[in-house]
Amino acid sequence: MGTLSSALNIAVQAMLANETALDTTSNNIANANTPGYSRQTVNFVEAPPVEYGGQLYGTGVQVSQIVSQRSGVLQLLLNNDTQQQAQYSSYLTTMQQVQTLFNETSGNGLQSSITGFFNSLQQLSEDPSNTTDRQAVLTAAENMAQNFNSISANLTSLQQNADTSVTQSVNQINALTPQIAQLNSQISEAVSTGQNAGSLMDQRDQLINQLSGLIGVSEIDAGNGNVTVTTTAGAPLVVDNKSFQLTTQPDPATGFQHIYSLGNDITSTISGGALGGAIQVRDSTIPSIQSSLDSLASSLENSFNSINQAGFDLNGNPGGNFFVPPPAGGVGAAAEMSVAITDPSQIAASQDGSAGDNSNVNAMLAVQNQAIVNGQTPINAYSSLVFQIGNDVSSTQSEQQGSQASIQQVQNQIGSISGVSINEEAANLIQYQQAYQAAAQAAAVISSLTQTAITMFSSSH
Amino acid sequence: MSIRVNPDILPDLVASIEQAQQEAQTATQQMATGRSVNNLSDNPAAAAALVGNDALTSENDQYLTNLTDLQGKFQAADSALNSAVQLMTTAISVGTEGANGTLSSADRQAIAQQVQGLQQQMLALANTSYEGTYIFSGTNVTTQPFAQSSTSSSGVQYNGNDGVTTVQIGEGQSMQTNVGGDQIFTNANGNVFQALNDLANALNSGAGIDAANTEVQQAFSKLTTQRVFYGNALSQVQNSQNYLNQEQVDLSTQQNQLVGANMTQVVANESQAQTAEQAALSATAQILSLPTLLTYIK
Repeated sequence: MGTLSSALNIAVQAMLANETALDTTSNNIANANTPGYSRQTVNFVEAPPVEYGGQLYGTGVQVSQIVSQRSGVLQLLLNNDTQQQAQYSSYLTTMQQVQTLFNETSGNGLQSSITGFFNSLQQLSEDPSNTTDRQAVLTAAENMAQNFNSISANLTSLQQNADTSVTQSVNQINALTPQIAQLNSQISEAVSTGQNAGSLMDQRDQLINQLSGLIGVSEIDAGNGNVTVTTTAGAPLVVDNKSFQLTTQPDPATGFQHIYSLGNDITSTISGGALGGAIQVRDSTIPSIQSSLDSLASSLENSFNSINQAGFDLNGNPGGNFFVPPPAGGVGAAAEMSVAITDPSQIAASQDGSAGDNSNVNAMLAVQNQAIVNGQTPINAYSSLVFQIGNDVSSTQSEQQGSQASIQQVQNQIGSISGVSINEEAANLIQYQQAYQAAAQAAAVISSLTQTAITMFSSSH
Repeated sequence: MSIRVNPDILPDLVASIEQAQQEAQTATQQMATGRSVNNLSDNPAAAAALVGNDALTSENDQYLTNLTDLQGKFQAADSALNSAVQLMTTAISVGTEGANGTLSSADRQAIAQQVQGLQQQMLALANTSYEGTYIFSGTNVTTQPFAQSSTSSSGVQYNGNDGVTTVQIGEGQSMQTNVGGDQIFTNANGNVFQALNDLANALNSGAGIDAANTEVQQAFSKLTTQRVFYGNALSQVQNSQNYLNQEQVDLSTQQNQLVGANMTQVVANESQAQTAEQAALSATAQILSLPTLLTYIK
């Protein structure tokens, strides 16, 4: 049997429940523009009924829980896309500078200096004893060598920039992981006491997404609200409430920073994020371009040295090295390329020792069309390198655009679940306001009835 | 219940503005440079092909420079040989005059002196130099090819060599640029100096003048034959220049096809991108100023 006091109780409980709902709505509106915020909804349930005299009586409404509307799967997708996008961006930052070093469309690339060198020989072949023409050959050779030197030096300095960003990324990662570990412990505590951990989870998602921008990670739900975060290759970053710092140490051979986790060198296993992109460009792409330049430089040097040695100079003496011989294996040839001949007369233009013979110059000229660089002529080898670099940048740009579009799409999907809609909140506001007003009205009526009853009994005495 | 959409539309709107701006920027850059390929990544294949195209263009420029130089050298050689041929023509006519039996020995000696003068002039022509090097000394270009010699029966000794030079005048194309001086002036089948020397001696002595005249004739025809080399060389230079000039035009057309911007298209793209940008901006402004339900709650 219902009583006035239980009716009053029901009305007051309804007011409290709607207050909670209004509070949540207000919080949603307040955080409408907060990055990473997931809108929260209030779940109302019927309070357990009581039985009296074989009859069940409702006891009003309860707030069972406040729920953050989120999708873990979409968040994982977003993190994956972020890792890719950040890797492409960081890779492109360096590679867009690399490609300007080889930009022949502006007309002063390596091609002009190689062709300029051959052209100077062409000029000399027509008048092999001409000292001015000989001097022009030396100048063109030096110009070509300097061009090789400067491109190689620029590549090295871009590599060093990438190395600096490796260290920066590691520092940023090390700043994020302790915060994630801290949130792990707060969330698991909240979960164990049945509290709403939505805001904390929002924060943790935000941090893991920031981490994804720095390095490729895997996330595993470890239960009790804990998330285990490792690199994609499995090196631990956060386990429960513990974080694991990455350390850096310069490689003795290259001087570049290698990355260690728990004492193991994990540099080559890192992919994704700004760190993955920087390592890729520093340890793989630039070294490969340097090596192509080195084989071009050393092939030219070796060919010219052996031809010059086979001929006779202007004074009828046997020729020596044209270029300073490249290092064995050609490593560093582009960086160190330099002309050995100091006097124009030392160019061995002649094959029979006579001043007017140009046979040896012609032999040097023939190098232009000889497949001396891994089966390609010097200009073709260079042209292949230009294609390779341009194509690499172009395809990475496409992939970056793809991952950017994918991020946008996932963010829209996340927004459709977690985003705060002002219209929706306004509608809720009206609904909860009306419910609150109704409950308050009911309480007032019941209260007045109670008053009536009290007055009734007191007047009968 | 309908499907919930992302209430935050700002990123999509901003993205569409950025896209339009980027397209406008690309079009502006192409207009400014006149090129559709401004970075290697814009068109890697065209950028790589441009390397080969530029190299060929630059090589051809050098070939053309070489051809101009060669032309100068060939003209110098040809003009020296033209003078030499005229000298020989003079020698033939004075030789014929000297063969006239009615002449006194004093007259013949006067003619002999004239012939010796011709030989001296011939010597100077055979030692012609161009830009500091001797044209007719084979590859011994720094050595004066012909010197007077009392030990030689012709009175002149050749100090050059038989060396010939070949110069590239185009991709995979080369030409011989000289003939040894001994082939021209002291050829076994017609030695200019020997013939002139013999004629002078015959005129002085009065014996063997006819034989000496025949010898001069032979030397004359040999000289004329060798001169043809330089005439041919000059016309080859001319042909190659024509060919290379045409090839330069072709290469330039090719280059334009590879990396040149189609201006009509670029201008159209630019105005299209601007329209798109304005549309995106106006749409964004309108959408963002739409009222919400809150606006109506009083």
